[in-house]
Amino acid sequence: MPETGRTKIVVPDRIQRGDTIRVQVLVQHPMDTGFFRDANANIIPAWFIKDVVVRYGDQEIATFEWTSGISRDPMVSFQLKADREAPLSFVTRDNRGNEFSGTAEIKFATT
Amino acid sequence: MSEPIERRNFLRAVGLLGAVAALEGATGAGRTLPAMLRVTRPGPDDPPIPNEAVQKIYDERFQNRPIQRGKVTLDMPTMAEDGRYVPVIIESELPMSAEEYVKHLYLIVDHNPDPLVTAFHFTPALGPVNLQTRIKMKRTSWIRAIAETSTGALWADYLKVETTLNGCG
Repeated sequence: MPETGRTKIVVPDRIQRGDTIRVQVLVQHPMDTGFFRDANANIIPAWFIKDVVVRYGDQEIATFEWTSGISRDPMVSFQLKADREAPLSFVTRDNRGNEFSGTAEIKFATT
Repeated sequence: MSEPIERRNFLRAVGLLGAVAALEGATGAGRTLPAMLRVTRPGPDDPPIPNEAVQKIYDERFQNRPIQRGKVTLDMPTMAEDGRYVPVIIESELPMSAEEYVKHLYLIVDHNPDPLVTAFHFTPALGPVNLQTRIKMKRTSWIRAIAETSTGALWADYLKVETTLNGCG
């Protein structure tokens, strides 16, 4: 799965300073529980994202604990106070030690 | 030679049921037909702690502090395709200011192998809690959304969600 860990962050097209905006994040990951078997009856080993860190500029604004109880290709959306222009990054780490990240630029509309 | 007609009647009846189910699903009305996933709110008593795994979460995260009902709303669909993808919405009217904010938010599915499905840790940089995500469910279970404010207060909402298709393995 070459795309594993690809992280997409969606923010509104036009943001005004001070807006509360919805941030939607999609991460490609199998999130395998370790309880399912493949077609040959072999156990599919547990493989899931455990830790999430959300950064806005140089500030760590949220962390999430995830388990294999989060659906395959995790989706999460939340509200952010867009009070400055800065990159918003979403960094995940899975139970195999892989780290993935995605970034969106929070920029204010000029008109 | 009555068999094919009976079969046709049966299929027609099933088709009609399907149409009714689709209609009721669309309008959110009616809970009489079997659905793959149904939601129930608790009565005046909170759902009891069902097992040691959930008790352990309560001990570790809440230290037996009182948990009040309210200020947090857990929203899940009356019907979903299967237990592998169950949409969840959590909203809260609690403030997100430096003085008081939602510091932790826990989502517990009582009968999942790992009941603490996810925990969120916030700062006041975030807006009011209005979260969406997708979780797995093994079987019919109470779901608990429990918010802890920066002042240490605990607020919760509970739903019983019925599901037939095991999404956890």
